[in-house]
Amino acid sequence: MVFSLLLKRSKTPKPLPLPLPLPLPTRNPNPLRASPRSTATSPLGLSIAYGAGALSGTWRPSRCGEASRSSIAPLLGLRSFSSPATTAAIAEPPRTCDGLTVDAIVGKGWTILDEGESDWRSHAAAIAQSVQVIKKRLQWGRMIDKSMQLSAILNKSDLWDDPDYAGRISREHGEIMGKIKGVNQFEQELVEHIDLLKLAREENDNELEAESMRALLEMRRKAKEKELEAILSGDNDSCSCFIEVQAGAGGTESMDWAAMVMNMYMMWAQRRGFAVTVVEEMPGEIAGIKRATIKVHGEYAFGYAKAEVGVHRLVRISPFDSGKRRHTSFAAVAVIPILGNVSTKYQIKESDLRIERFRAGGAGGQHVNTTESAVRIVHIPTGISATCQNERSQHQNKASAMAVLQSRLDQLEIARQAQMNAEHTQSLSEISWGNQIRSYVLHPYRMVKDLRTNYEVSDPDSVLDGDIDGLILSFLSASLDKNEDRA
Amino acid sequence: MLLRLPFTLSSALLSPPLHPHRSKPFSSLSSSPNPNPNPNHSSNTTLPLFLRPLSYSAPVSSLLSFRLWAESLALSSVDDPHLLRELSWLIDDASAHKHPRNDSLVPLRAELHELYELWRERIEKRRPFQYLVGCEHWRDLVLGVREGVLIPRPETEMVVDLVGEVEGFERGWWADLGTGSGALAIGIGRMLREDGRVFATDLSSDAVEVARFNVERYGLKDKVEIRQGSWFEPLQDVKGKLAGIVSNPPYIPTSHLPGLQPEVGLHEPRLALDGGENGMDHLLHLCEGSASALKSGGFFAFETNGDAHSEFLADLMTAKWGKFFHNIKIVLDFAGIKRFVTGYCR
Ligand SMILES: C[S@@+](CC[C@H](N)C(=O)[O-])C[C@H]1O[C@@H](n2cnc3c(N)ncnc32)[C@H](O)[C@@H]1O
Repeated sequence: MVFSLLLKRSKTPKPLPLPLPLPLPTRNPNPLRASPRSTATSPLGLSIAYGAGALSGTWRPSRCGEASRSSIAPLLGLRSFSSPATTAAIAEPPRTCDGLTVDAIVGKGWTILDEGESDWRSHAAAIAQSVQVIKKRLQWGRMIDKSMQLSAILNKSDLWDDPDYAGRISREHGEIMGKIKGVNQFEQELVEHIDLLKLAREENDNELEAESMRALLEMRRKAKEKELEAILSGDNDSCSCFIEVQAGAGGTESMDWAAMVMNMYMMWAQRRGFAVTVVEEMPGEIAGIKRATIKVHGEYAFGYAKAEVGVHRLVRISPFDSGKRRHTSFAAVAVIPILGNVSTKYQIKESDLRIERFRAGGAGGQHVNTTESAVRIVHIPTGISATCQNERSQHQNKASAMAVLQSRLDQLEIARQAQMNAEHTQSLSEISWGNQIRSYVLHPYRMVKDLRTNYEVSDPDSVLDGDIDGLILSFLSASLDKNEDRA
Repeated sequence: MLLRLPFTLSSALLSPPLHPHRSKPFSSLSSSPNPNPNPNHSSNTTLPLFLRPLSYSAPVSSLLSFRLWAESLALSSVDDPHLLRELSWLIDDASAHKHPRNDSLVPLRAELHELYELWRERIEKRRPFQYLVGCEHWRDLVLGVREGVLIPRPETEMVVDLVGEVEGFERGWWADLGTGSGALAIGIGRMLREDGRVFATDLSSDAVEVARFNVERYGLKDKVEIRQGSWFEPLQDVKGKLAGIVSNPPYIPTSHLPGLQPEVGLHEPRLALDGGENGMDHLLHLCEGSASALKSGGFFAFETNGDAHSEFLADLMTAKWGKFFHNIKIVLDFAGIKRFVTGYCR
């Protein structure tokens, strides 16, 4: 399938505009960072680590007072000191010697100048602002709560009676702690660089000042990357997914539009390096599709694709209308994560399934040779079904249909447990045709506009050829940034 | 703009569009001169297309013209949406990767003109798609097939599941009688433990050759033994020791052969289809022979022509041969036809 796509196009896929999200880098960008750490135990029994400043009031005054370079020098050797794995973040944020926190820096309202300008306040303000964005996107408050809950569970003495459960909890805890620490460290670095820079100025140490400035600039750039990485930090964002497209009312016109939309996703997935397989399709009588499902396999496929859920609207002169009139067509898109974690999967009972296979009627068996081997599986209690006809054996069609069914039931289960933002879990049948998210106008003017963010692209062809990252990311960041953080 | 690439593309990509108004009878085919395909085919052992080396190449544009030509040929002659899917598979099998580099040359496993010939045979001679590409996807296997060997049917996939439900099947000795491409033997062989074995027989040397090829490709030489000969004849040494017997013997009544769909009637081997006057000749022979070939408690599963045939066999084995067999059951295929008869040896 994918091959035939390339057959008809010979365009080089554009380089991806963004790096795929990776775990936050732990590399220390600044060799000069001095970060003595203390560990303490919080009232909750959590072991806590923070960089210089947060807890160790004992030495801070001397450093921030008449500290001299020589008093800092010995600290430089402590860089590799790292905190134990189970440490949690604490409420008190890192401060500079004169008491500035990230929030306080933002509060100062320092003008953010071009990166090129060597102004430490501008760098600091930009970094601090990014830190706030990152925290918001990570839903910081919720994340801290969650880390505490998990730590509490991990401290229970009978936890390892169920090693499977314990393993999951400890893995989840580890992941969250990794994210928290990544941000904390970043904040810590910021205040340290500011301190160093001020110190260098006091001591007229141009070399140290230049070095700190460079470090701040580098942090500023890295902060932008981290902002993007933080977009995809939802529970199932890293999963592969199914994308389903269904034509709206309006016959051939809409079915053709549905096929264009599906095609847009196939090309998008291809650009992103995801593997695409067509799982299910109901072709239109004359053109296009009534409905189709593709599987998009790869890291963060769901995280990105979930931004596409809703109704997509097309305005164009119809190629099917001999009167050359303008038509408006609709296609609905649903996105279903393929959960990796077996324990959250919906348990399907074999006896609840009805399996229907399509074959030429008549005698069957040795009488008939056909390559048609579609399989439809119905989950009787919920009425949910899945069909696959694109594999080359019936056995494989059944396996694929089963995978789709499993994910649809998982999706139902997720929605039931309300673990996810409801709008991303809607199935096709639940998407209201009123829920238009994007409009593609080919006539009388040419424009794609996301109705949720007002993000616009003036070249619909590029969008329909799969260049939708801009639309996706602007939506994801907007929706995350407006979410009130419960911190 | 109106005919912009994505939607012509999408129809090729997503689905062969249905063309309900285009059906035309296969007029040229009924007079096809070749009711029995090349009897010397065994000498012509070409590999399945997807296994051949990438010795050729063609510009993307030529491959695209082939595709367009093939689509229009398919649509002009018959109303069959599966043909376009087959065309995609043909190109899948003939070319290297799913993601070819964006060069203008696509590496190929057959010369482009060969693809043209193959597709012409598909449409004009109704040569089965599986013979074109030399393979059939069956269960999770990809089996080599060629003229002279029956293309395994999806109904038969279920026989492997029936075997999988038999207690202790993993360690037993099994027989697949009339193994054809080796489908059942391989399907079962892959589920067996070390001490389990399958003896697969066939009278046809084409079948024996193809089955050996497939067994080898799946690395089952130590588990699946192919023997040439008629039904039980090559199995004298394991008589009475078999834990189970499966067979999908020829079961089409001779008088029905001329009416078969061209892909079957004109191209598949008569030896694999012809079940004698009422289609029961081989089945009866197999049922009878199983009584002495199976060990006590041994299992059997036979595929039949359906409904009346299964009922007849089941009755016979319950009543007349009840002293040899018990627990006789009829199992439906996915179309709801009474397709299989299963039971145990006393
Ligand atoms: C319907 S085909 C089944 C092939 C294969 N088991 C399958 O299911 O795809 C019947 C097979 O029986 C073989 N056959 C016909 N007469 C036979 C005989 N007397 N002894 C052994 N095999 C025979 C044919 O060559 C053919 O391969």
